[in-house]
Amino acid sequence: MIKKSIWIYHLNTGGCNGCDIEIIDVLTPFHDAERLGVKLVGSPRHADVILLTGPITRQSMEKAINAITAAPDPKFIVAIGSCACGGGIWYDSYATVGGIEAFYKILRERGVKPPKVIYVPGCPPRPEAILHALAYFKGLASKKIKKRVFVEK
Amino acid sequence: MVSEALSFILQLLIFPGFLFIICLAFFSEWVLRKFVARIQNRMGPTYTGSGGILQPFADFIKLLGKEDIVPAFAERTYFTLTPLLCLTLPLTALFILPMTGHRALISFEGDLIFLAFIFTTLTIMVFLGGFLSGSVFSMVGGVRAATQLLGYEIPFLLALFGPAIPASSLSISKISTWQAQNNAWGLWTQPIGFGVLVICLLAELELLPFDIPEAETEIVAGWNVEFTGRRLALVRLGRDVELVLASTILADLYLGGPQQVWIIPPIIIFLAKMFACLLLIGYLKTLFARFRIDQVLSGMWKYVIPAAMIQFIILKLIW
Ligand code: SF4
Repeated sequence: MIKKSIWIYHLNTGGCNGCDIEIIDVLTPFHDAERLGVKLVGSPRHADVILLTGPITRQSMEKAINAITAAPDPKFIVAIGSCACGGGIWYDSYATVGGIEAFYKILRERGVKPPKVIYVPGCPPRPEAILHALAYFKGLASKKIKKRVFVEK
Repeated sequence: MVSEALSFILQLLIFPGFLFIICLAFFSEWVLRKFVARIQNRMGPTYTGSGGILQPFADFIKLLGKEDIVPAFAERTYFTLTPLLCLTLPLTALFILPMTGHRALISFEGDLIFLAFIFTTLTIMVFLGGFLSGSVFSMVGGVRAATQLLGYEIPFLLALFGPAIPASSLSISKISTWQAQNNAWGLWTQPIGFGVLVICLLAELELLPFDIPEAETEIVAGWNVEFTGRRLALVRLGRDVELVLASTILADLYLGGPQQVWIIPPIIIFLAKMFACLLLIGYLKTLFARFRIDQVLSGMWKYVIPAAMIQFIILKLIW
């Protein structure tokens, strides 16, 4: 049933606000995500899907964990932007955790079961890409990209 | 005797009782969402059912399937009781309002007072639910709901009892019948009262110019911030039923309620009136931005209460 009604909670973990403006773009009249039954909610307790932006700075990590654990199951995370997907240009900074994978490692260490994640890369991703991710939930669209890990030599 | 009781139970459960009201509540939420979306130059829900008509229902079913969390600091009893009462109180109130004919399902002399009682209880339940769910945001929301009550309670009651004076009865069924028979709709005989009642119902329903207890951009989701799953589903359904209740009150007390016109059955006329009121509420909701709590209180005491009193005095002078 989550496919028919997706309530999203917007969680900024230290992004530059570029992605957040694109999310607003998805919700405002031009793209109007309410067509798909998407609704922005203010409280993580009401959310089905958490839109996570930013590279998860050490300052915001505890709050992000609180927000994610507060959301009721079944829940999903959409990692929006290069920052959230893999840390972006801050992937090795001391001040950030560095993307959702490293964050999930920390979550597992704390005994929190991490929710399933969908990646939307781009800096910032276009609103169409975010809508595509939401349509992927509904089964209206298929996956576009494959995972490829880059290793620095 | 038995068949009479059976038909009463059927009426209570199906039409115009429980099932009909719930369907009407879902439908009116869809109408409101679509209407607001069209005003804002959007499409509104489109893909769930034809034209998105099943969207509120899909939201409800989804919420039923979600995890049910009781926060560690919450008072468990009230946390469970509030969503239930949020749904049952407006449902009970709808039974005493006439919908299909001149007589409501349950009607007695003085049910107008019962209606006023239900409205106040609802706000107090909101306050308790917010205050006892143990989060800072919900506490602020609950306190704001109770503070707002101080503003709109008096004009609301004055406007609610206004139509009772010309009909000289405290029964809602009798008031609406009197208005329909004498062709003296409350809207024409006491227009100020109608305006006051619309304003107060907007405040009671926590819709936009007065959505201070829920203010998403200030205090997250206000008094219902901690509700999840089934509880949230009940709270939201209760809100929808309250929406139906508000438009029904407007239609019954000020627009003559269900009346037979030519060969059109009363229920059709009633639904037309109800949805006209619903769209009026939706229009006002889209048009305004949120007030601050102090602006609401001072505005209510400075302008709305005097207006309601003037209307009352005029009524007393005429009748
Ligand atoms: S991905 Fe780009 S736009 Fe988005 S938060 Fe990071 S730096 Fe900003």
